[in-house]
Amino acid sequence: MNAEFIQNLPTAEQAIARLRELGMPKRNNELWSFFPVAKIPTPEFMDAASAKAFATSATSDASENAAASQEADFAALLPIANLARPMIREIVAGSAEMAMLKCNNDFGHTVLNIGKGAKVSLEILDNKVTHDIAAERFDINVGENADVEIFFANPACDLPLRFRHFNINQAAGANVRFSSICRDTAIGRVSVECHLKGEGANFDYRSLHVLDGNASQHSRLTIYHEAPRTTSTQLARNLLSGNARVSYDGSVIVGYDCTGVNSSQLVNTILMSEDASVSVKPVLKIYHDDVECTHGNTVGELDAEQMFYLVSRGIPKQAAQEMLMRSFAQETFLPLPETPAKKRLMSEV
Amino acid sequence: MLSIKNLKASIEDGTQILKGINLEVKPGEVHAIMGPNGSGKSTLSKVIAGHPAYRVDGGSVELDGKNLLEMEINERANSGLFISTQYPTEIPGVNNVEFLKMALNSKRAFLGLPEMGDAEFKKLCEEKMDLLEMDARYRERGVNDGMSGGEKKRNEILQMAILDPKVSFLDETDSGLDIDALRIVANGINHIMSPEKAVILVTHYQRLLDYIKPTYVHVLRHGKIILSGGPELALKLEDQGYDWIEEAK
Repeated sequence: MNAEFIQNLPTAEQAIARLRELGMPKRNNELWSFFPVAKIPTPEFMDAASAKAFATSATSDASENAAASQEADFAALLPIANLARPMIREIVAGSAEMAMLKCNNDFGHTVLNIGKGAKVSLEILDNKVTHDIAAERFDINVGENADVEIFFANPACDLPLRFRHFNINQAAGANVRFSSICRDTAIGRVSVECHLKGEGANFDYRSLHVLDGNASQHSRLTIYHEAPRTTSTQLARNLLSGNARVSYDGSVIVGYDCTGVNSSQLVNTILMSEDASVSVKPVLKIYHDDVECTHGNTVGELDAEQMFYLVSRGIPKQAAQEMLMRSFAQETFLPLPETPAKKRLMSEV
Repeated sequence: MLSIKNLKASIEDGTQILKGINLEVKPGEVHAIMGPNGSGKSTLSKVIAGHPAYRVDGGSVELDGKNLLEMEINERANSGLFISTQYPTEIPGVNNVEFLKMALNSKRAFLGLPEMGDAEFKKLCEEKMDLLEMDARYRERGVNDGMSGGEKKRNEILQMAILDPKVSFLDETDSGLDIDALRIVANGINHIMSPEKAVILVTHYQRLLDYIKPTYVHVLRHGKIILSGGPELALKLEDQGYDWIEEAK
């Protein structure tokens, strides 16, 4: 299956052809409805003139590649279209690995094939960026009963525009924990497509955004429950100051015959200023009766009674605020098992 | 020490709750404030502490000659005021011990004292926890997080013991305590009390005053102290309730 997967990845020409077909992201496209799409520079290959030059050779190839023709996310195609050669890594069944990933330039594409029962801890570091846009793509295939943690907690980044796209496929019993902290000061989008293909697979997503200034960060998740008794958890927490803006667009799709699915989605936001804002869009598409899916969203300020309590014990207001913010942030990752990811994320908080 | 003069305060909708409170508390004294529900006892503690839900309409509250009402909330605490509310707030995620250390060192910084280090603080904390017969689990928990009513009250007295305030205003500290916990908490308060300090206890029941002997007992009703007396007043209130006071007038 993995060899077939790699073979089916689009070529640069196919990705370009598909991007031309899709056009630049627009706000009326559901995938980009919250994103400041006007900030995305048009790639050279999207120009009308260069498009013409590519037209004959590329389009015909793309039509023969099912994966390329189905891909609808601009961010998923962009690294490949920009000639990011895939770094393919096989992790053998039953092995235990701790690894760090760092792309060499603005556009990176990583394919990870993780064998049955492997235990993997993968930290993603910031790549080296020279242009005004960066895009990374990760295709991660997780074998049966493998246990994988993927995390990033990079220092605040002022890249004008950054995309990260994850395509995760999980076999039966595979467990993936995806955790991140974002303090970037510019515009970014993390998109995750997770396919729970095997019975009992579990996907756990936790994100924390601590943003200030004009930061604008966007998350788009789609979790496909494609097998019985698969489970997923989403917890997104946001601490927003200044003019910071966050959106969370999370979909859960439960397929036919997928009995015993359990899925939860919770977004908690604390707005520290009048001008900070958050948009949340939960989507549940459920095609089976025996499932349990929940979603919730809270937006508020720091708890006034908690603030009063801390300050009434002599703690200065600023320090009390920081204590409450830290506790709010730490709770995002507290339920994680005691692994390198938790240690790293908690230390960053 | 603590001097409250003609204190008037109201809530957001303009309803006046405190209608002219006068109270003089001297070092070494224990004052018990009793009164029916809704008379303004809890409001009094919150107004003195500076709770933003209340507006002061007039009067003054001075601690050792300094007007508390002109101070920020944390400055009032660091000047020697400790308020324990009826329902201590839960703060999940803020570790109890880290919070205590931060509070103590905030006070020390306010007083111009050096920060207390980890080892010294640990020793102090253990000593006070032993006094209140608290087990080590309290150290790991969030502030009042998931604690029973009695555990919260014990945790409040631990804070009082560590922060070592000049004046402590304890609002219904005895509520939610079983007989053993009441004894332990009362012993803790007595241990912390000294001739240089003062305690104001708000209570509905004589049972706390069996353990902590009050110097004065006051009756607060309709936002005013309508009667003051010695410890015998609490016994009479326990026996006869409050209505006789107004009837006598």
